Amino acid sequence: MVSTVQNTDVKQKESDHAVVVAVASRAVFEPEAQGGDNVYAEGVAFPLLQALQKVNERLLEENSAESLLFDIVLITTDSQQQQQSSHLISSTKHYGLEVSRFCFSTEEDFIESLLQNNVQLFLSTDRNEVSQTSQKGVLSALLDEYTTSCPSEQLRVLFCRDAVIRPDTNPTPASRQAAQSFSAQLGKMRQRFGMSDSPLSIALMTSCGGRDSCGGALRTLRSLGISVDEAYCLAGSPRGPILSVLRPHFVLSDCFSGLED
Amino acid sequence: MSEMKPSDVAAAEDSSEEKDWAAAKAAFDNLKSNKPRPPKPRFAVSIAVSSRTVFNMVAERKIYEEEGVEKYVAFQVEHENEPFRPGPAFPFVKALMNVNSRLRELYPDSEELFDVILMTNNPAQVGVRLINSINHYDLTIERFCMTGGQSPIGYLEAYMTNLYLSKDSDKVTEAIEAGIAAATMFMPEKEMELSDTQLRVAFDGDAVLFSDESEIIVKKHGLDTFFEHEKRYENQPLAQGPLKCFLEALGKLQRKFYSKNERLNCPIRTFLVTARSAASSGARVLKTLRSWGLEIDEALFLAGAPKGPLLQKIRPHIFFDDQMFHIEGAKDLGTIAAHVPYGIGQKYHKGKLIEQPAKNE
Repeated sequence: MVSTVQNTDVKQKESDHAVVVAVASRAVFEPEAQGGDNVYAEGVAFPLLQALQKVNERLLEENSAESLLFDIVLITTDSQQQQQSSHLISSTKHYGLEVSRFCFSTEEDFIESLLQNNVQLFLSTDRNEVSQTSQKGVLSALLDEYTTSCPSEQLRVLFCRDAVIRPDTNPTPASRQAAQSFSAQLGKMRQRFGMSDSPLSIALMTSCGGRDSCGGALRTLRSLGISVDEAYCLAGSPRGPILSVLRPHFVLSDCFSGLED
Repeated sequence: MSEMKPSDVAAAEDSSEEKDWAAAKAAFDNLKSNKPRPPKPRFAVSIAVSSRTVFNMVAERKIYEEEGVEKYVAFQVEHENEPFRPGPAFPFVKALMNVNSRLRELYPDSEELFDVILMTNNPAQVGVRLINSINHYDLTIERFCMTGGQSPIGYLEAYMTNLYLSKDSDKVTEAIEAGIAAATMFMPEKEMELSDTQLRVAFDGDAVLFSDESEIIVKKHGLDTFFEHEKRYENQPLAQGPLKCFLEALGKLQRKFYSKNERLNCPIRTFLVTARSAASSGARVLKTLRSWGLEIDEALFLAGAPKGPLLQKIRPHIFFDDQMFHIEGAKDLGTIAAHVPYGIGQKYHKGKLIEQPAKNE
């Protein structure tokens, strides 16, 4: 059973133009820990939410009638958190998070709730959840322990090309389409800001190929309307050390499969 | 100072890292061209070069400074298919590539090679023109970080960089403070013909290979005290300076040629070019190098004479010195010079203390 609750503290976004991002509430708030006053403690994805909000703030500063905004939805599948749904909502309001809706569903039908809410990007710390939603054609990315150390003043998105593809996660045409359309919207958002002092930074990393592989990817993204800020060509060098300096909030890798140079 | 990369590291290799490495190896092996595969960073001598050192971007820099970043990027994109002209580090990079070819001939399976990484603050949109230029000259640069304004220091560390060359002295100073050998490059006034079969690297001694401890004595107490001091402490090794580890890395590669009987034909040659004099203060320097197990091919003691004319004879691909006075002298006569902003020499110009306004740190 899926139920949706609107956050009355937050202005609802125009559904046609907004970019709906669903975040697992388990990632936003520490499920067990409590701050004072029956409020949840901040979770791993807290800086990410603040960064998404910052982008919205700055978009509205540029144009107060802007409709291309992030529409943030919190998804809860955890039955315990569902029982404390009022906690979730009051914690969200306590921190002033710009969450427009709360979706409560079971583990069986949460994908349905994503599709119902026209979610364009799903973020979670649960690897299985991410894998499942991805296979159903919803663009998804895994949040890991590095996400906590990411800045909250700038949203940092990384497009990763030609990482080693795991055999069981071949992207479907639907998820490739989802990736391309989200990326194009991200690209449009990025264009609203200048080269410096942008609240959104888009980075590209190619892990295995040489410089031509990265050059090709830069051109491909450009043709999709995405102007990349940073580019890293690893040509086989270890990703870990570079990622820990790059500190992306999340990594997207579905955009490139199937695209020719 | 930068540590030599451990060759006997027993670190647990992340299996996903190994998979990436294997995939990269396969990608390069499958290429139709004969492009050599870049080495594993852990074993390589990593040289990070900024875009303005490899290429001449003086005109574009002017646009950036006078008209701002948007116009600058627009200009670069507009001229994307026009390769840049070579910059000060260009001959050095070509010489590194030549050493790699010789190493690959003798040791086809070794990862102990030079790895040239492009480390630039440029936004990625400028990257297309940079890649096109690298392709135009067929430089072996397959790795790069285009940080779009973020500091390069973290990435230098991630690549275990052995040497960082840039035109930005602030970044170079930051790198040295982080323990990475680094220098600010200067384009010489005139062009000098350089060897295309041998990499030739010249180093100043004090405050470059060695610490500035002796230079402090000269500046504060004069030459006579300096000579006495050096004689008295002849057998005590000097402390190491910021470029010592780079000399060490070069020596390690040199020995690979020696062990294949290629000493006479070695494509790396190192020079010490010091204002010290052989008679009074030279011994300590040579003994220090010996105590470190390092060799330098030629040690030239100038006893205070200008370095420019001697460097003209040596024709190095790069000359490292801590004092701008010597850098300028080298540049004027055609030597590609790189300033190491380290030690007491930064507070002096031509022997006089530079009056610094009080800095609010």
